Amino acid sequence: MTNSTDPANGADVRDALDGTEAPDSIDGANVIDAPNVIDGVNKMNGVNVNDGAPGPAKKANRPTRRYWRTGFLRGAIELRHLLRNPREMFGQLLNVAVALMVAGFISDDVPGTHIPMAHLTLAGFAAYLLFQIGLVNLPQILVTEREEGALLRLRATPGGIPAYLAAKCLLVVVMAVGTLALLLIAAALLVDGPLPHGPGGWLTLVWVTALGLLAVVPLGAAIGAVLPNPREALALIMVPVMGLLTTSGAMFPITSLPVLVQKVASVFPLKWMAQGLRSALLPDAARAAEPAGSWELPTVALVLTAWAVLGFLLAVPLLRRAARRESGSRLTARHRKAALSGAIAA
Amino acid sequence: MTTTGHTSTTPMALRATTTNTPLTTTQPIIRARDLTMSYGGVDVLHGIDLDIHRGEIFALLGPNGAGKTTTVEILEGFRQRSAGEVRVLGADPERGDDAWRGRIGLVLQSWRDHRRWRVAELLAHFATYYPDPRDPAELLSLVGLTDQADRQVDRLSGGQRRRLDVALGIVGRPELLFLDEPTTGFDPEARHDFHVLVERLARDEGVTVLLTTHDLVEAERLADRIAMLVSGRIRACGTPSELARGAAAQAEVRWTTDDGTARRERTEDPSRLVWELHRDAPGPIADLEVRRPTLEDTYLHMVHREDDGTDGGGDSGVGEGLGRGRDGHGDGETRAA
Repeated sequence: MTNSTDPANGADVRDALDGTEAPDSIDGANVIDAPNVIDGVNKMNGVNVNDGAPGPAKKANRPTRRYWRTGFLRGAIELRHLLRNPREMFGQLLNVAVALMVAGFISDDVPGTHIPMAHLTLAGFAAYLLFQIGLVNLPQILVTEREEGALLRLRATPGGIPAYLAAKCLLVVVMAVGTLALLLIAAALLVDGPLPHGPGGWLTLVWVTALGLLAVVPLGAAIGAVLPNPREALALIMVPVMGLLTTSGAMFPITSLPVLVQKVASVFPLKWMAQGLRSALLPDAARAAEPAGSWELPTVALVLTAWAVLGFLLAVPLLRRAARRESGSRLTARHRKAALSGAIAA
Repeated sequence: MTTTGHTSTTPMALRATTTNTPLTTTQPIIRARDLTMSYGGVDVLHGIDLDIHRGEIFALLGPNGAGKTTTVEILEGFRQRSAGEVRVLGADPERGDDAWRGRIGLVLQSWRDHRRWRVAELLAHFATYYPDPRDPAELLSLVGLTDQADRQVDRLSGGQRRRLDVALGIVGRPELLFLDEPTTGFDPEARHDFHVLVERLARDEGVTVLLTTHDLVEAERLADRIAMLVSGRIRACGTPSELARGAAAQAEVRWTTDDGTARRERTEDPSRLVWELHRDAPGPIADLEVRRPTLEDTYLHMVHREDDGTDGGGDSGVGEGLGRGRDGHGDGETRAA
């Protein structure tokens, strides 16, 4: 990680985080709110607001379906590229491998129970991997593709932005479910890992996974829309993510942490995702190690829903803004800046 | 302030930019009237008037910072103008919907996207966004990438990548194509092929092309008409030869007198000067040569007239403009206004 002190990049972050268009910024000012972009983003969220965009109303339904179809085709192609690219897959596989190794080395039990500690850790890893896909991988993909010009190309293509978002939804869901399945199956086969007990456990696994993704994916999209460039993006995201990983009780019982840290961590979704997955994967006896002495599933649902709502509220305007800010000159300026900071670093 | 005042010395150029032309039979594909742009109180475009017609290849020239990019991005619908009237394909670009977008093709120099896609796969995918796309395979052979169809995009050479961008730009059969520095990094053969392709699109399919470039030779070769944008104003507009004849640069006549001294004289009417020389001379005139002003002379003249500080990016732009074709004749005089 290069510690870039490029002041221009700093200005860009500030500019990007600023909700309103800075009047003195050449890049930010006077960029167009293209109706097709707005329209597309609205459709993506099922809020089919027709804001007076030209075009016959009776046709409104058909293009939407075409966007989704094109988007899913696009997502399928992107998935194929991901699977064919070993370097991309390596990160995910490494995560799973680390989880399995850690689980293999832990031999004690969850305090006060006869449940292997490894099970708790694996459930925590499962939650963390979902969390990471939404809040680390997704923003990175978005920032990288914006920098390369894919977002601009799709903006210049009819129906491009809705198709792009649909493709990313598919990509993220498949990545998340695939990683989760790989982790649980490999753990079950190799280190006697946990699997849900009975239909209730499976159901919990499904809804916690779905709600967990809803909590982190829109948030990750919002983050991806404002982060400056791929290199700095990773640094900016990883610090808080690592902080949450150690304080959310994902890897070890949260009760061993100071109360204040517990309280802070319980604001964020990772703790609740981990707790929800523990409830799905561990027997009820493991509740003894929970801070509240129970799984608190209603709270899990509530907190994750709240984050999902917040994420959507942030993601829609920020993505729309990111798309409409794209133009050729902006792209060129960023490439020049990247080349420049690269030259200085070298 | 319109362009009229600045081109008054050049009748041909004047005609080309005349405002308030009665719109009779055909609406222009691009029409701008008094297009103005300011960023934070600083004007970067001062009332641009532009008419570009169907099937025309139109080049926008000018140094960096002159407002080329801003103008083009306003026309592309990516930027909101401060004032003025703009119609592109009959619509205000700020309100262009998907159907409007589908009629416009874009080739930018900064694209590095979709690196992991295969060439044919990417083209086939983008074809699906348009109602009546070109056949991807035909398109590949049109831009000469058939052999690279299965190659990953990031393994293409710079010129191949740009040709792929061109293919992506025209896959939806656009009526209007924006080309931004399209041949930067091309070898001479690729450049030639590209020029042939663009001419074919314009001539055979009636595609209107708006080209921005620093390459004066390319502009002269391709464009039906050229506008020179300097410091946010169109300083001249016309066919390449009109511009070369028009603006400031006078023709230069060189000859050697009887006593062996080399003479050169600048004149608006070289034919008359040569006639007078012959009339007064006892016999043939040695080393007689008439140099017509080139597009580059016009360009440099325009740009240098602006050199008094207003144009921040001007210096680098001139450098790029100088890149080709100066053969070292009469440098000082050429630039003298």
